Amino acid sequence: MNLELIPLLIIVLLMISAGGVDVETTEFVIEGDHEITEHRGALIVGDATVTIPDDETISGPVYVIGGEFQIHGEVEGDVTQLSGSLVVEDGGTIDGELQHIGGSEEFADEAAIAERSTVEFAPAEPGPIAAYTPVVLTTLFLSLVGAWFSRKRPALLENVGTTARDHPVISLTVGALLSVTFLAVFVFMAFTLVLFPVSILGLLIGLVTIAYGIVALGYLAGKRLDTPRVGLATGLGVVGIMVLLQVVGAIPILGDLIAGGLLLIGLGAVVVTYFGLQEFEPVSLPE
Amino acid sequence: MKLFDFVRERQWIPITGYLIYVSALTAGYYYNLTFVQLGLTDLGTREIGMAPEDVSIVMAVLALLTLVAAVGSGLVMDRRGWSTDLYVKFRLLFLIILVQLLLTIVAPFISTVEQFVLWVVVCSATLGLGIPVTFSFMLDFIPVRDRGYVAAVVAGLSFFVAALYPVEWRIDEFSLVMSAMMVPAVLILAVLSVKRFAFIDVLAGQHERSTFGVGRFCRPTSVRTLSVAFWGPVLLMFGVFFIDSLGFLRIIEEPLYIYTSWQSPDLSVRVFIAVLHVVGALAAGVLYTYFDRNWVFFWVFGLFAFTHLLYVFDIRFGIGETPALILPMFYVLAVSFYTTLNFALWPDLSTTETIGTHTALGVGIAGWLATFMSTALALYSEGIGLPLGGHLAYVNALSLLFIVALPVLLYVHRIFELARGEVSS
Repeated sequence: MNLELIPLLIIVLLMISAGGVDVETTEFVIEGDHEITEHRGALIVGDATVTIPDDETISGPVYVIGGEFQIHGEVEGDVTQLSGSLVVEDGGTIDGELQHIGGSEEFADEAAIAERSTVEFAPAEPGPIAAYTPVVLTTLFLSLVGAWFSRKRPALLENVGTTARDHPVISLTVGALLSVTFLAVFVFMAFTLVLFPVSILGLLIGLVTIAYGIVALGYLAGKRLDTPRVGLATGLGVVGIMVLLQVVGAIPILGDLIAGGLLLIGLGAVVVTYFGLQEFEPVSLPE
Repeated sequence: MKLFDFVRERQWIPITGYLIYVSALTAGYYYNLTFVQLGLTDLGTREIGMAPEDVSIVMAVLALLTLVAAVGSGLVMDRRGWSTDLYVKFRLLFLIILVQLLLTIVAPFISTVEQFVLWVVVCSATLGLGIPVTFSFMLDFIPVRDRGYVAAVVAGLSFFVAALYPVEWRIDEFSLVMSAMMVPAVLILAVLSVKRFAFIDVLAGQHERSTFGVGRFCRPTSVRTLSVAFWGPVLLMFGVFFIDSLGFLRIIEEPLYIYTSWQSPDLSVRVFIAVLHVVGALAAGVLYTYFDRNWVFFWVFGLFAFTHLLYVFDIRFGIGETPALILPMFYVLAVSFYTTLNFALWPDLSTTETIGTHTALGVGIAGWLATFMSTALALYSEGIGLPLGGHLAYVNALSLLFIVALPVLLYVHRIFELARGEVSS
């Protein structure tokens, strides 16, 4: 199976969920040649050749993310093409909207399509304001959360921060292992369709944990300011960490490695301290 | 790391011990990975013309005989005190490598089944003796504190080199490389066998210090051979080796998988695998050093379960395209993890009195017996025409079973401890 389909599949599943279609009736055709004569619910065409024969009708919606989708008969619902090939033969009909985002398409003269739209992605680089707005908003949000949390539960951030500072190798190892393994597990969960919500939930928890790690690193950095105002120090520390991530991220390869390492250290420290509820104590070995 | 203290204090003799250990174990494991596990298959099938099933049976016999030889020699070494006599171990190692050198040189010239079987019998006897001899070096050379890292270096280096060279899994290629590698080792060990050196005398006495001679899990009380504390890890490691071997034996028979990963003509793919072996081993070394060993077991079973899930998924839904590198990636991580654990675990479950027996039983049963049984089972599954996808589904189920069984057994063990009043609640 072509693993490049995975991100497209995730996007499609999000679109299906947002559109209110029942995920359980969704069919994902991954490989081979198929003639489909009857189907209710969403249909996703992966690395397969799917044909709707003459005089046959399916309900749709249909999402094409790879392979080839040939319409000789009729699709009652919408067709969304993100990649792959779409062929509508003479007599082939799409009653809903054909939304073209990517991939190749071929229409016979007698093909009937009720409505067509094309989504164009602007290739130009976004302006500096558009580029940095999400980062600034994220930084603002995390620094506010950090300022509030450090006043309410400083012991938790202390445990995580101390572990990240005193045991960076352990934190990095645990963070790296967890991120590699669970990222792969969640992506594959998405393929089962049934576990898609669990997959999204897992990814969200992962992001929250990374954010927690950034806040803890910000708390650690804020302590260096040597001010009794813990909330302010943590907020500024979080800003400092976020700026640092942006600055080092600008250095090719090495910068990404440093930024990734920092995030993974935070993630690992959060996990080994049970979100700061317990100090991390490595097993004692004889000196 | 204790090694850094030695470097800072310019204590070169203990540092030499590290170098001897890493060199000996890396070379030995590389020999086992390549020549024994892959070269003999090529010798049996291509050179002699035996059926793959017959070669697998001979390989299984080799595993079983190695177990017997390992346990026998481990017991004898402990009873006679050879486990703690470094000079005796050097002499035994000299004998082992000399015989293996001769076996390696003659291997490409073997042309009949009878010669092959005789070769295997002699090889298994020396391999078996080699297990307690080499694994017990840990007590002589490596302090408890550094064992996880040193085990990681040995596992990572062995796999790194094996993944890159030689590319062709052919007996003549292996024979040439191994012979060239063993000649200097034989010469050095010959000298060490007959002549005493002051620095070796110092190394020979290191096991008397508790930081070297008493394993991590033998504190405050030593682990008895007939105890759950010893046989629990043996069972878990047996499961790990069994799962690995059972799955890998069938995967390497699929050209689609093997020629796009371990034997890929693309150097970058093999470099990726080699580097990942090192990264995985180092990660395992860190986990072993700072966490309870059961976490490492848990990771290993989890990684194997996920790996086989990926393979089953690819077999069922793949369309014959080049499989993604994520498949061998997780396999490599799992293998590096448990190999690191295997090097460090048995010495850490031992003292100077039990090192020979424990390493022989641990490596023999977990490693060699598991290989023997998984080979037999893989042959059976092939014989009854079980497709690869179905076979790997069973392997996956076994991994999941161990993932569940591990915490359950730990919990039950804790209940028994509490019921007996051995520990406070």
